[in-house]
Parts: sequence; C-alpha cells; structure tokens
Amino acid sequence: MNWRTFEERIMKALMIASLCVVIGSLISILLTIVLKGLPAIRWETVSQTPQGGYYIGKEGGILNAILGSLLLGVGATAVAFVVSLPVAFYLNLYLKKNSRFSYTIRFLFDVLYGVPAIVYGTFGFTLMILWGLKASLLAGIMTVAFMIIPVMARGMDEVLKMVPFELKEASWAMGTTPWETATRVIFKQALPGIVTVILLGFGRAIGDAAAVLLTAGFTDSLPNSLLRPVATLPLAVFFQLATPFPEVQERGYAAAFILTVLILVISLISRILSRQFTRNVVR
Amino acid sequence: MESKTHIGVRDLNVWYGPIKVLNHITMDIPDKKITAIIGPSGCGKTTFLKSLNRLIELQDQIKLSGQVLVDGENILDPSLEVTHLRKKLGLLLQRPQVLPMSIYDNVAYGPRIHGMKDKKELNELVEKYLKLANLWTEVNNRLYAPASRLSIGQQQRLCLARTLAIEPEVILGDETTSALDPISAQQIEQLLLKLKNRYTIVLVTHNLRQAKRLADYVIFFYLGDVIEHGPAAEFFTKPRYAKTKAYLEGRFIEDFKIDGEVSLKLLDTLEDSSQLQTILHQLEMGKILKILVEGEETVRKVSSSLENEGHSILEVRRLNSTNWEMIVQKQHVSYNI
Repeated sequence: MNWRTFEERIMKALMIASLCVVIGSLISILLTIVLKGLPAIRWETVSQTPQGGYYIGKEGGILNAILGSLLLGVGATAVAFVVSLPVAFYLNLYLKKNSRFSYTIRFLFDVLYGVPAIVYGTFGFTLMILWGLKASLLAGIMTVAFMIIPVMARGMDEVLKMVPFELKEASWAMGTTPWETATRVIFKQALPGIVTVILLGFGRAIGDAAAVLLTAGFTDSLPNSLLRPVATLPLAVFFQLATPFPEVQERGYAAAFILTVLILVISLISRILSRQFTRNVVR
Repeated sequence: MESKTHIGVRDLNVWYGPIKVLNHITMDIPDKKITAIIGPSGCGKTTFLKSLNRLIELQDQIKLSGQVLVDGENILDPSLEVTHLRKKLGLLLQRPQVLPMSIYDNVAYGPRIHGMKDKKELNELVEKYLKLANLWTEVNNRLYAPASRLSIGQQQRLCLARTLAIEPEVILGDETTSALDPISAQQIEQLLLKLKNRYTIVLVTHNLRQAKRLADYVIFFYLGDVIEHGPAAEFFTKPRYAKTKAYLEGRFIEDFKIDGEVSLKLLDTLEDSSQLQTILHQLEMGKILKILVEGEETVRKVSSSLENEGHSILEVRRLNSTNWEMIVQKQHVSYNI
C-alpha cells in the first residue's frame, strides 16, 4: 500500500470517527430525554398547571410552561421577523453589492449573533428597569426578539443573496421599482429559505433559558396578560431539575421531552412548508 | 430629423471603477429596424446595451458620462424616472430568466406593475402576447403552471412575451439566442424578424452569421470603441476599416504599428496642410501614419482627400468630444486626370 492510499484511508477514517462522535452524542441526548421524560408524561402533564403546594409543583402538569413558551416563541419570532426582513431587503436590494456600509452591517450582525443569551437577558433587564416594566411576557418577547434578530436578519440576508442577479435584473428591466421587485419577485423566490430562517429563529427563541430568566420570570399560572410573568419550558426544566425531589425532577425531564418534540414538530413543518413554496421557484 | 430616432447616443463614456469600458460613443440607432451590435467578448457591447435602459447602474462602481437620448430626452439625467424609461425599452437577457410565478403571471407582471387591474383586459393581453411570441398553443392549457417548468426555448419565448406585454417601443436583446438550442434559437430569430416592423430592435450578438441573417444596421465594437457602424449590406460587403475587415474575416485583430504621427489640430484651413503632405511623402509605402484631427467636419474632409489620393484609412477613432484620431496607411498614389 503506497503512502497516498494510506493517507486517503486515514483521513476517511478520521472523518467517519468525527461523524460517529456527533451522531453518538445526539443519540445519547435524545435517549436520555426519551427514557427519563416519556415515563413521566401523563395526560395531566400537558393539560394542567402545577398543583400541590409550592410553586414548581409536585402534582399537576406544565401547561403553564408549554403555553408560555409557545406564546413567547411566536411573539418574539414575529417581532424579529418584522424587523429583520426589511433589513435583509435593504442590504440586498438597495445597497451595492460590496459597499463598505453593507459589509459593516453584516459584520455587526455576526458579532451580535455570537453574543451570549445571558447578555441579552441583562440588556433586556436594564431596559425593563428604564421603562418601569416588571418581568413579563412582553419584556421576554422583546428581549428574545433582540436575541434572534441577528440570527434572522443574517439568515434572510444569506437567503436573499442566493437569489440570482439576473432575476432581479429581469424584473427591473420591466420597469419595476426595487420595492415591487422585492415583494413580487424576490420574496417569492426566497420564500422557502425565509420559512426555514423563521423556524430557525423560532427554535432559538423557544429553546433559550438565559434571556428569559431575567425578563419573563416564571409563574405557576397560565399566561393571561402581556404584562404578567410567564413560565417557559427551558426554565421549567432548569427549576425542576434543580430540586432535590425525584418526582419534581421527573417532571423536568418531561418538560425537556416536550420541548424536544415541539422543536422536532417545528422542523418537520418547516420542511413541509418550504417544499410547498418551492413550486414556483426558478433555478 | 433627430426627434425621429428613438435612441441617440452622444459622447457616452462608461467606467467600471478605474477601467474605462466605453469610449466616446456617438451614434443614432435607426427606428423600426434590427440593429446588431457585434464584436469580441468584453469589448463593451452589453455595457452599451444596458446603458440604453440604465440597467447598467446596478453594477458596482459604475460611472457614466455623456448623453443617451431616448425620444429626445437625456435618460442619464439622474432626475429621470427609470421605471418609465424601462417600460419603453424592453430587455431580453442572455439566459431566459422567468419570474418565480405562473406562466400567466409572468406575462401579466409588467402590465400589473404599470397599473392594469381589469381581469378581462389582462386575460386578453396575456393571450395576445403569448400568441405573438408563438407560445400560446403550447401553454394555453396550463397557464397557471409554474413558468420554471417550461423548456428553455419556451422560457425565452415567454420572456419575449413578457417583454412585449409592457408594450415597449424598443426591444433590447443581449445574446438572446446564445443559451438556446438551434431550433429554439431559430424560432426566436423568426419572431424578431416578424416584430421588426413594429419595434426598434437592438441585439448584441457574438454570432456573425446571426447578425447577417437579422440585421439591417450593424455596429462593431472593439475594446470600448465603436470602430464602424452602418447599414448591414454595406457593412458586410464593403467594410471601411482594417479592424472591421479582420473581424469579419475571422482574423486576429492586431494593433497598428504607428510609423509617424502628425497633428492637424492647429491648422486653420486644410489647404494649408502641407505638413501632412511632407510627412506622407517621407513615409515608405505601406507605412502607417497617425493623424490627430479636431472636429467631425475636418475628419470628413481629411479622409475624403486622403482617399482621393489613394491612401487607405484604417481607422477613425474619437478621442474625446472634439478630437479624433485617424490611422492612415500610405498607398501608391493614383493620379486622376
């Protein structure tokens, strides 16, 4: 066996080994969640709020956290979408391709992308104090929206960058304004990608614990007002696993299981939706 | 007369960053004819074409100077509304670029943008232009299917229908058939011939045979200069300048080896041009002389007098708004009695 064949084999083996590490850890995480979470799931888990004494609850379920997480995730994603789509359009349609300004904006978003969630949490907390807000669904939505705006703006920016220049040109050549081109042509072409980015943002929003810890608070009751605290699944996992009581800890695993299932469902929906929207897409 | 031509170009210069890609282009494009723009790759043909509807502005670091007159109005004026201009000059791209929507919506896109809402009117319009583009019989049973499912030849005809539907006065084509199979290309060519009585058509093409088949008027670009332009019959049979001849014969286009240079710029009258005569006398047969001239009128006089003496004029090039450069090769002097 000569050196080149040997090298080839070694490198291939290394690649397979890293793949095994990744898949192995993923499977073990999923297995832990399923094995420990599934037995703890009962009908009450998804239909009741915590009952029985103190606030994390020995009985009842985690409906408060499920609803809270969904509301917070949907709210934050909606707010972030409304802000980031125009940013992405502006970067791609109004600025010249390699302008210094667009380069700077992209760079800033990349930096913001890397800022840890807890920093967004403290930032949101500072704003809350400034505006006299208490820990609430509203504050949580705003903070998480801040956190996922870089994710969504840059994600959609990349999606829009993939739209062929000729397509924009073809539309412009018809005498359209950039805005008409953006809404009638580019949006349609980029829709599958935009859907994927929205759900990516939603995934980050619903799965984050640190940003909501300081801003959304936690409560046993169902979310009933924008200005009241809400429970979220990641925090439910955190608080319940931190208790010394096995029956409460079990519920933490149940919450983790439900969170995982939610994210799985979202990914599947995003796949199906993007496939729906690729019907008209030009390649 | 000038208001009669749709498109007139006056001293157009275009730079990409520091690189100048178009040099002092000045010409009129004839109405209701097919004008072919020919020349090697990268010599500014597409840039020129896209300057006519200002689509060139989308490129990075582009700079333009001079005037492009469309119906007597300088379209390079920044205050001009480009949407209106582009409605007047429809553009067909090299690769058919259908929009991500149904066949029907592709054709209705332009009219809708420009304010047509009535469903019945739109239906009629879509049918009319799909028929004009010879596509109706192939797609009338699937108007609401995605346009991207059509074959590439059909897509280009759809693009043509889409362009016609904005009811332009001019059709610009950027190598419109080069991405197509021969049969689709032929269909597009026939369509263009059919349309030329109604529209002014300007086509960029690499394909000399296509230019011969289609063109009524030809413009030859080389490295950002217009070397020669004129009616097709004359252009292809009796090209005036050396580079045009080389290009038409498929020869490599060489730069001239300049053997002498003279400036006639400071002279008051041409009769006084003894300097030119002396230099010509001193040159050997076949040597090349570069003459700098001021003003278009002078260029005409100098070239006719030199041609009368039997010298051949290899090239006439505009240097800037007033100055010209003539490249002349000394030949045997023929005496006319």
